[in-house]
Amino acid sequence: MFKQKTIEEVKSASRKSSSGTTSNAFYNNPRIRGFFYQIALIAGLLYFFGTIIGNTLANMEATGIKTGFDFLGAAAGYDVLMSLISFESTDTYGRIFVVGFLNTLLVSAIGIFFATLLGFVFGVAHFSHNWLIRKVALVYVEIFRNVPLLLQVFFWYFAVLSSLPGARQSLSLGEAVFLNVRGLYMPKLIGGDLSSLVWIALGAAVAGIFVLRRWAKKRQELTGQQFPVLKTSIAMVILFPLIVAALTGFPFTVEYPALKGFNYFGGITVIPELMSLAIALSVYTGAFIAEAVRAGVQSIPHGQTEAARSIGLRENKIMSLIIVPQAMRVIVPLLNSEYQSLVKNSTLAAAVGYPDLFNVFVGTALNQTGQAIETIFMTIIVYFVVNMVISFLMNRFNNAVALVSR
Amino acid sequence: MKEFQPIAARPAPIKTVGFTAWLRDNLFSTIPNAVVTLSVIALLAYYLPLIFDWAFWSANFTGTTEDACVKEGACWVFINAWSYQFFYGTYPVEEVWRINLTLVLLVMVIAASFTLPKSIRLKASITSWLLLPVVGIAILDGRLLGLEVVSTDLWGGFTLNVFMAAASIIVAFPFSFLWALGRRSEMPFIRSVSVIFIEFFRGVPVLSLFFMGSVMLPLFFAEGTNVDKLIRVWLVLIFFMSGYMAEVFRGGFQAVPSGQYEAADSIGLSYWQKILLIILPQVIKVSMPNILATFVMLFKNTTFLLIIGIPEVVQTLQTALSNSYWLGGHALEGYLFVFLVFWGSCFSMSVLARRIERQMNTDKRD
Repeated sequence: MFKQKTIEEVKSASRKSSSGTTSNAFYNNPRIRGFFYQIALIAGLLYFFGTIIGNTLANMEATGIKTGFDFLGAAAGYDVLMSLISFESTDTYGRIFVVGFLNTLLVSAIGIFFATLLGFVFGVAHFSHNWLIRKVALVYVEIFRNVPLLLQVFFWYFAVLSSLPGARQSLSLGEAVFLNVRGLYMPKLIGGDLSSLVWIALGAAVAGIFVLRRWAKKRQELTGQQFPVLKTSIAMVILFPLIVAALTGFPFTVEYPALKGFNYFGGITVIPELMSLAIALSVYTGAFIAEAVRAGVQSIPHGQTEAARSIGLRENKIMSLIIVPQAMRVIVPLLNSEYQSLVKNSTLAAAVGYPDLFNVFVGTALNQTGQAIETIFMTIIVYFVVNMVISFLMNRFNNAVALVSR
Repeated sequence: MKEFQPIAARPAPIKTVGFTAWLRDNLFSTIPNAVVTLSVIALLAYYLPLIFDWAFWSANFTGTTEDACVKEGACWVFINAWSYQFFYGTYPVEEVWRINLTLVLLVMVIAASFTLPKSIRLKASITSWLLLPVVGIAILDGRLLGLEVVSTDLWGGFTLNVFMAAASIIVAFPFSFLWALGRRSEMPFIRSVSVIFIEFFRGVPVLSLFFMGSVMLPLFFAEGTNVDKLIRVWLVLIFFMSGYMAEVFRGGFQAVPSGQYEAADSIGLSYWQKILLIILPQVIKVSMPNILATFVMLFKNTTFLLIIGIPEVVQTLQTALSNSYWLGGHALEGYLFVFLVFWGSCFSMSVLARRIERQMNTDKRD
């Protein structure tokens, strides 16, 4: 590609360029070049979007599709399978948007909770002293990470949950929780007049934990004495609301699901669509989180463990005081992206018919109104915003665990 | 004089060597550990025989119709009877050699990029990779080669998943490279366009992209143009993939030491010579594990095509399950089979990725 040049040639070439001939021309100036490249890109993009918008308008006119957001006020005319707020088929598309949004948040929250739990349990299990436990963790991660999520959703929905017994032969737990092919039925707590006091007590107990932790840490720094924070906080959270409940005379009634005719009624019902989606999301993302946790723990040099042992810390204290706080620096950014992909993957609800935002809006509303652009963009923006909120919270958390450098 | 005779060394205590020591260390080191071990063994001992019995000993292997499934175990006859559709969809049987030929070509191109002599490897393999999607489509469709035309409605099954994933990543490769360069560029407008593009395609659920491909994209074309649905989805997959791969390449660019750029500048290479001859080969090498991981993700995501009604393997399975001759409830067998097929391919790719990563690690240590 390059001819060998003699010293003379190179010298003469450099002399030429320094004496200001061809290579100092304006089109060889990187700034001017860059300017023209960008102008070309702008022109190209303008042309591209101009054509698209022109075509779209022409196409929509030809097929008689309306534009604008008027449809949000129109009656939807269809029902949704599950809704956290009251919904009837006469309600508007705007309300169906909210219903779908809440359902998406619900399944994402359940998924994030259980995925984190599974991920940390199996991630730490990878370092167990027990060979069998290590292998179980490995098998879990390698199986569920390498199979498409959609297949897992279907597997739980069609192969597992739909082979459960019918309503009359339900699997039951203490005659309070029932599981059958129609879903999971759980008792529901219905609050009476003074029940809000109990909830306030619970809130106060949770707030108390933070105060307690701060006080205990300060005391340890000053005196070196440790305080059993965990036991005290568990006791606080359980006992304080219980005492308030006892004082107010237990203002709760429990509604148990009961078999009436062919199915259970009352209590909280978890439909199989939600169950299969939530299980699949948790198990799938849990496998990825387990990998993240493993990577995080492995990133801590072994010297840390040895140093901790040499100052006489017990094994469980080494994990919680030395390894995990350092590993979190690696884990949290990975968790952030796993949570975001979990929220995006929750759109797979469309596969089993769980009425999440994507399913009720891009699925059904788009079909009925034909307003593809509005519905798809409204939905996309919601996912963007939810992911931005997750990212913001996780970055706050990350700042809390990040290395404080002096 | 009596010669000194040392007493033979006593064997190490039985507790510290061999199998028993391993057992003590790994399974029964403490009492809680022993309890955990025993309960895991008990669970396995209870469930494994049941699973094996269902899958092998009382399973039905021979036959062609559902009536052949007389034993109460799994009905593998179902998989056997539908295996053609699972792999090739509804592609005509007498034309199926074309799918096989394309698969062979794919394997050959992969093999060529590892085995060709070094002097021509880069050029030859890049050319063959870029030609592969065109040649593959020509063979499968048949229009250009004067073969019988097989319309894209008939394409399907697991091979469609493979082809969609492979064709998307190949075309996305050069694009993602450009996006990654754009994101590193010093020109503000080019940089922001690249950032917006990459973040859009990474931040949006892939399903909504597929819906865009199937519902919104037709609106973008001039009136009267009718672009095949598979091609629209392909376009969407290319965009999606180039967003993700651009981030992989960005990581690769950052991993190349800046001395490499400076050295290339100092011997007077132009921008593109520097990028293509010096930087790109190193970037590809460092990002190989991540490229494979991204490909696994894309491959898994091709199952989402089911939602917009493209007959990939899961869709084929659902069709088979609702077939009126096979209503005996074979969901478990069917899903397990597809589960295993995907698991086998994705797991082997992630093992490969890990091996490459390990090889690169030793490189650095030398």
